[in-house]
Amino acid sequence: MKKITMMLVILLAVTTLVFAAGAKEAQKSDTVTLRWAYWGGEARIERSEAAIKIFEAQNPGVKVHQEPSGGAGDHFVKVDTQVAAGAGPDVINMGGNYPDYIPGGPKGHLTLDLFPYAEQGLINLDVIDPGAIAYATVDGALYGLSTGANMPALVINKSLIERVGAPLPPVTSSYAEFRQYLIDLQRRLPSGVYAMQDIGVLASNSTPFGYWTGYNGTPLYIAAEKATKVTAADAKRYLDLFADYRSLGVIPPADIAASYAETNADTSMLVAGKAAIGFLWTNQVDGYQQAMVDEIDLIEFPGAAERNALWQTQSQVYTINKDSPNKEWAAKFVDFLVNSPDAAAVLGTDRGNSVSSIARAVGVSNPNEQKGLDYMAVAGPHTMPENDHVPNDTEFNSTLFLIYQRVAFGQISTAQGGQEIVDLLNRMIEK
Amino acid sequence: MTRPQRTVLNNLSSYAFLLPWLIGFFTLTVYPMIYSLYLSFTHYAIIAPPRFIGWSNYKVMFTSDDRFMNSLFVTLRFVFVSVPLKLIFALIVAMIMNRKLALIGFYRAIYYIPTLLGGSVAISVLWRRLFAFDGIVNIILRNIGWANPPSWISNPKYALSTLIILAVWQFGSPMIIFLAGLQNIPREYYEASSIDGANKVRQFFAITLPGLSPIILFNFIMQMTSSFQAFTQAFIISGGNGGPLDSTMFYSLYLYLKGWGFSEMGYASAMAWVLLLIIGSLTAIAFKISGGLVSYGGGE
Amino acid sequence: MKKQTKTLLSSLIMNAIIIIIGFAMLYPVLWLFSASFKVPNTIFTDASLIPKAFTLNNYVKGWRGIGIYGFGTFFANSFAISLLSVVANVIFCSITAYAFARLEFVGKRFWFGIMLVTMMLPSHVTTIPRYVLFNRFGWINTFLPFIVPKALATDAFFIFLLVQFIRGLPRELDESAVIDGCNKWTIYLKILMPLTVPALITTVLFTFLWTWDDFFNQLLYLTRPELFTVPMGLRLFLDSSGVSSWGSLFAMSTLSLIPCFILFFSLQKYFVRGIATTGIKG
Repeated sequence: MKKITMMLVILLAVTTLVFAAGAKEAQKSDTVTLRWAYWGGEARIERSEAAIKIFEAQNPGVKVHQEPSGGAGDHFVKVDTQVAAGAGPDVINMGGNYPDYIPGGPKGHLTLDLFPYAEQGLINLDVIDPGAIAYATVDGALYGLSTGANMPALVINKSLIERVGAPLPPVTSSYAEFRQYLIDLQRRLPSGVYAMQDIGVLASNSTPFGYWTGYNGTPLYIAAEKATKVTAADAKRYLDLFADYRSLGVIPPADIAASYAETNADTSMLVAGKAAIGFLWTNQVDGYQQAMVDEIDLIEFPGAAERNALWQTQSQVYTINKDSPNKEWAAKFVDFLVNSPDAAAVLGTDRGNSVSSIARAVGVSNPNEQKGLDYMAVAGPHTMPENDHVPNDTEFNSTLFLIYQRVAFGQISTAQGGQEIVDLLNRMIEK
Repeated sequence: MTRPQRTVLNNLSSYAFLLPWLIGFFTLTVYPMIYSLYLSFTHYAIIAPPRFIGWSNYKVMFTSDDRFMNSLFVTLRFVFVSVPLKLIFALIVAMIMNRKLALIGFYRAIYYIPTLLGGSVAISVLWRRLFAFDGIVNIILRNIGWANPPSWISNPKYALSTLIILAVWQFGSPMIIFLAGLQNIPREYYEASSIDGANKVRQFFAITLPGLSPIILFNFIMQMTSSFQAFTQAFIISGGNGGPLDSTMFYSLYLYLKGWGFSEMGYASAMAWVLLLIIGSLTAIAFKISGGLVSYGGGE
Repeated sequence: MKKQTKTLLSSLIMNAIIIIIGFAMLYPVLWLFSASFKVPNTIFTDASLIPKAFTLNNYVKGWRGIGIYGFGTFFANSFAISLLSVVANVIFCSITAYAFARLEFVGKRFWFGIMLVTMMLPSHVTTIPRYVLFNRFGWINTFLPFIVPKALATDAFFIFLLVQFIRGLPRELDESAVIDGCNKWTIYLKILMPLTVPALITTVLFTFLWTWDDFFNQLLYLTRPELFTVPMGLRLFLDSSGVSSWGSLFAMSTLSLIPCFILFFSLQKYFVRGIATTGIKG
């Protein structure tokens, strides 16, 4: 009996402790608490924490709790679930999928219009690049403030190319020149190493696809018309382009390509030393370079200069939850992150190159980040305004990925693939 | 054998024992189930309120969603290959572990370690590396003469098999339960039958299997149920996309993708209910078949 | 003499077989362990089990976690949740199992069938409704969403397990207890529960392990880093856009294994105890 009584006593004690722990959260105080949700790894979390400390020091009485998630996938799952239950964070990072959360968007309205807060003087938009503001402006409302600009690029393993005695690729080239370069390079590469990773087969391939359709003059999506300009024949030509590369042997066969998820430096064929050229966003240069002993550099997509097919975009945006209980403070915090030189010094170009002229004055802290800037200086003039994002971003990416894989593995022909892509585009637009 | 009277008092005091479960059942199971059933008839993008669309989700699932049917087949293949294999290994190892060897405690722990790693991120990452084109498995295979082994993890024909191997590798849980069950078979039965001249094989079929039969049934149902819901390993090993070519797109993974990825919680809820029906039917069948095979020693 | 050598030989062979197969089975784990001692950028290039470039730095760096909150915090949180869940499950699942296995009441078959069905409900289905409920109670960022369901015996798996075990115990035990003057509660406490110890130990072990590994729910309910658990801490090492900290990931994964391993190792001898055959009279 004694044992049982003891157990019950322990249980009682434990239950009380548990409820006490729960009760602690309910303390009322006059500190303002902001919750900031974003995704990223160790390095980014440390930088963000440093920025938070500065903000809290400048604003006593305000506490910012950061809620990082390992990846964007986890992040949105968590945020969606929290918001559905009425408990969403105050400041939420988003990517190119932010239109899913604007009024009328497929997920429902979550993001707050920031213009009124700029008018109140809480956010300084005067020093922000107009392109960055236009990026997140829909129907006269600003739904997010850019964390930084970046551009798509091709990344090359400079050391590897030099080691095999090949010339470096030109920064600017045409498709014909590029193709020839790949063939020449492949001849010199050892077996098992490919001139280029098959960027058409990657999970993130909607960006290269978007580039090519832009180059082709048939943008993926025009919001004003709620339509795509891509036809089955266009899509087929893109698939044929990579089929050609595959048959030449300058890109790996489908199963080898698929074994590199290309989501970050660890799953990159380039970093693994098995490809000389890959796809990269400019804000990733620092991270990738640090993962490699070989030196990397950036070059443009072929055909960029002749048709101004590249574009500058915003890496992420800071958005504010429209149901946040602390909207003014959230606005001030976002303004701090984007415009404060102190913040820029610790955040670096991890989330893109600063779009705020006063923050930019701080300069960049390391040569890798400088490479990104140099690239943007060269490629900048070869750009057009960014095309609208296809709605239902996640599903579009996922299904596009599947279609490409099916073509690459030989399950369907490029003609069929082309048709399926167009059907997919239309489905996503109509949803 | 006398049975207790079915008096009102008797019933009430019995129900008292059931109270915690009943509360949990109604608030944490029934209410969410009803709510999710309702959701299955709606289009629900999580943040915006649900919009009623009738049977549409179910119709699409069975007529036009190829990826759904694919995920169903992938999962069925996974379940009906990995579960029997897992149970067989678990039983064999449990029987080996059910003896007095000097380091037996240590051995049991060793064989259980793979299961301890569970849905660990590290092990999934490792598995991917092991079975990659230039991974350890292929290095070994090349050394023993296989010139050009495929990239197991990124080849649509073999990717699922790597996941099956991963699942079977983690047979620790049913092994432990078998071990506990083996311990519960009275030693006298074996001693008596030895005296009667039975050999090990006969003992196995006459004593061990029947004695273990409630446990075998239990393990089978539990493993089947949880295999149908397998998610984490496929999620991490395929990078969340069920690839290559949807060959590792488990039912749960597709559900997750549809619900949270594509913001179709209504569709995901419908998928959940279909899964429930499938598992329910298979379990009922298993119980029916086992009725004649399973013996309960306690005189139920 | 010959028989002794024969048994010695067969036991040696048995040991050898177990060790060899065990080694093959453990190879991935051994690799994980050795990777935790390798210098990070050699982890995937160095294929051997003995690190060519040895370092303890992964453990030092990994322990720091994300700087502000380290694995000291994460382990404490994981332990708290897991241990509390164990207590809740052991008590409430066995009470419920006793009711189903031994007590008679109206609707018993019905409720038992229902309970079995709850085991098969895919968890994704109940996620959002449960989240809404717990949020309304203000339980986000507490450990309650993990423990309360256990205390309300929602883990039908363990109920089923214990039911099967109790059913295997002879009813004569109950009857002799009744004759000795016991009521339902004392039959349960004094007679049956002690005999279901192997199953209870199983419950302890699995509850601990499954709670320890329950990443998805931890992700949803614990948003403050100071409440993060070990699996969430491990996930933080995987950077989706930059460089993952492989060394730290593998080092902390190895550490995460240790409590589970110790628990398992210390509990497994309870499986050796057989049924108490002396309890049956006549």
